[in-house]
Amino acid sequence: MDVFELITPLFVALVFGGTFVGLIFGAIPGMTATMAVAVCLPLTYSLGLENGLALLLGLYVGGISGGLVPAVLLGIPGTPSSIATCFDAYPMAQRGEGEKALRISIIASLGGGMLSLIALYFFAPLLADFAIQFSYVEKFLIILFALTVMGALSSNLLLGIFSGFLGIFLSLVGVYDVTDGGNGHFRLVPPGTEYWLESGFSLLPVLIALFGVSAILEEAETGMPQSMSVREIKVGKSSRFSLSIFKGQIRNLLQSSAIGTFVGILPGVGGSAASILSYTAAKTTSRNPEEYGKGSAEGIIATEAGNNALTGGALVPLLSLGIPGDSTTALLVGAFALQGIQVGPLFIGNNPGTWNSMMIAMILANIAMFVMMYFAIRWFAMVVAVPKHILYPVILMMCVIGAYTINYGIMFDVWTVLIFGVLGWIFVKLKIEVAPFIIGFILGPSAEIYFVKSLESFGDVTIFLTKSWIALILWLLITASLVASAVLARRAKQLEALAQPGV
Amino acid sequence: MGGLTKVEIDFATSHLIFPTLIGIILLILGVVLLIIRRREVLGAGTMWRDTFERMDKLRFFGTLLLTVLYFVLMVPVGELWPNTGMGFLLCSIPFVALTGILFTHDRRLSKLVPMLIVAVIAPLLTWWLLSEIFVLTLP
Repeated sequence: MDVFELITPLFVALVFGGTFVGLIFGAIPGMTATMAVAVCLPLTYSLGLENGLALLLGLYVGGISGGLVPAVLLGIPGTPSSIATCFDAYPMAQRGEGEKALRISIIASLGGGMLSLIALYFFAPLLADFAIQFSYVEKFLIILFALTVMGALSSNLLLGIFSGFLGIFLSLVGVYDVTDGGNGHFRLVPPGTEYWLESGFSLLPVLIALFGVSAILEEAETGMPQSMSVREIKVGKSSRFSLSIFKGQIRNLLQSSAIGTFVGILPGVGGSAASILSYTAAKTTSRNPEEYGKGSAEGIIATEAGNNALTGGALVPLLSLGIPGDSTTALLVGAFALQGIQVGPLFIGNNPGTWNSMMIAMILANIAMFVMMYFAIRWFAMVVAVPKHILYPVILMMCVIGAYTINYGIMFDVWTVLIFGVLGWIFVKLKIEVAPFIIGFILGPSAEIYFVKSLESFGDVTIFLTKSWIALILWLLITASLVASAVLARRAKQLEALAQPGV
Repeated sequence: MGGLTKVEIDFATSHLIFPTLIGIILLILGVVLLIIRRREVLGAGTMWRDTFERMDKLRFFGTLLLTVLYFVLMVPVGELWPNTGMGFLLCSIPFVALTGILFTHDRRLSKLVPMLIVAVIAPLLTWWLLSEIFVLTLP
């Protein structure tokens, strides 16, 4: 398919519209890129795959980028990815240089986003070509590796792994599908609920609930704190922005983008880690580390390049292995499923048109983000003050209708939204991590197929160790991720103990 | 020794293999977590008590109650005018309005009017977009 055939006015409008809505979601504290994608997912049903993805990728890029607005102006990260942006951008804004901080963030975001796209373009097909050689054994081990990496990078290794396995367990509810080589029997279904749970809990209502409804319940629990008043938001213009700020920052930009892309590739890690790791690396290698935390432009460039680079990186494992890189790309699995397409190693080769359209959508989304934010930054700053009591009821309504329309109108999916919305709220209280849970939930059915088929084919459990050198390497990686996580956790505990007064 | 690692899959019970395995892993992880985090587990009662004491009960449980009522009423209302999406439209307007009022802190009329306008326009727009433009089934 000719690349230019893809760029229809509708396609461009959807990318720009998606980016705009994503920016609004990202800019309002408490609302995230994931929520934006979850709420708008049902709209893609009638748009077709390319146009639907154009909207969702716009929402993704916009949602991640929008988080910088409250981080700069209020010192509150709009999304978890903007957490480190607060460290330097907010002190800069407090000095009356809010506009300068915003413009630095926007340009760094564009740089990070574009550089990660280059990595995506070259790396995803290579990884997919390699992954085509995988048998059921290696595919199962890749999923196991993804789960251990997620666990290892969670705040607590055991809880992270527990969350992932809990996600797998709940994904197995229902019938062992005959089309997947199963025997068509029910499992994990309480008596009397077979009618509703034949296909288990649908993925999209679960995603919508965990990322939309539970966030609203958390806000309701704390009494729905009031938004800022428009008068309280000061962009500030005391110091003019100049592109010369970026002089000597190319290494920082490249390093942070590389870190962000790499973190994105690791399944389930998320933008907050990308942004903090980029910030720490930039500070460690900086000539002026003492400036960090006091309004350093270098710090802002590092965090914003890092978190936007996540967007391209997170698509690498999704499009080459079928494993989502973060919670937002997990929702894209749902978008593909809506169109009857399975993402995995064969995706790029079998769907070159969709692959090209995704690249174009990502480039356009980054350009749209830059144009909208750079030239209308004062207006976007006002978004921070949009009252939540107006937005949240509408989002709840969208969550409900999204769940209802996804499977041609099944009311049980709507109840699933409520069940998992409350469950998501309980998860937060019990410190069960949602990202590993959701990735476990998505990968659970595939893990089962690969595991059972491996045993059916070879009849010996040692096959998971002896099948190939790839399997051995995967086991080494699984062990390494677990050991590294345990060592890092112990070191963090020791440092914490040393930091205690009197020690 | 080789016999120990051999596994024969019985097709009739193949649906239970993976859930059982995952269940066992979850159980082991759960026990380990219980032992390692026993202090937190023992303090769970206090945590929940504190949560409920601190929580804005009206807004939290009000949201849940309104949501349940919304779900319960949507289908019967929709059946009065089948295949028109009226169940969604007629239930969403009061739902959005009431939830908005519940979430609002300052309930002066000047503050409520914009919210009430949104409560009418947003469901209408969504209903029109989904049922008329995208031709999707609505309750």
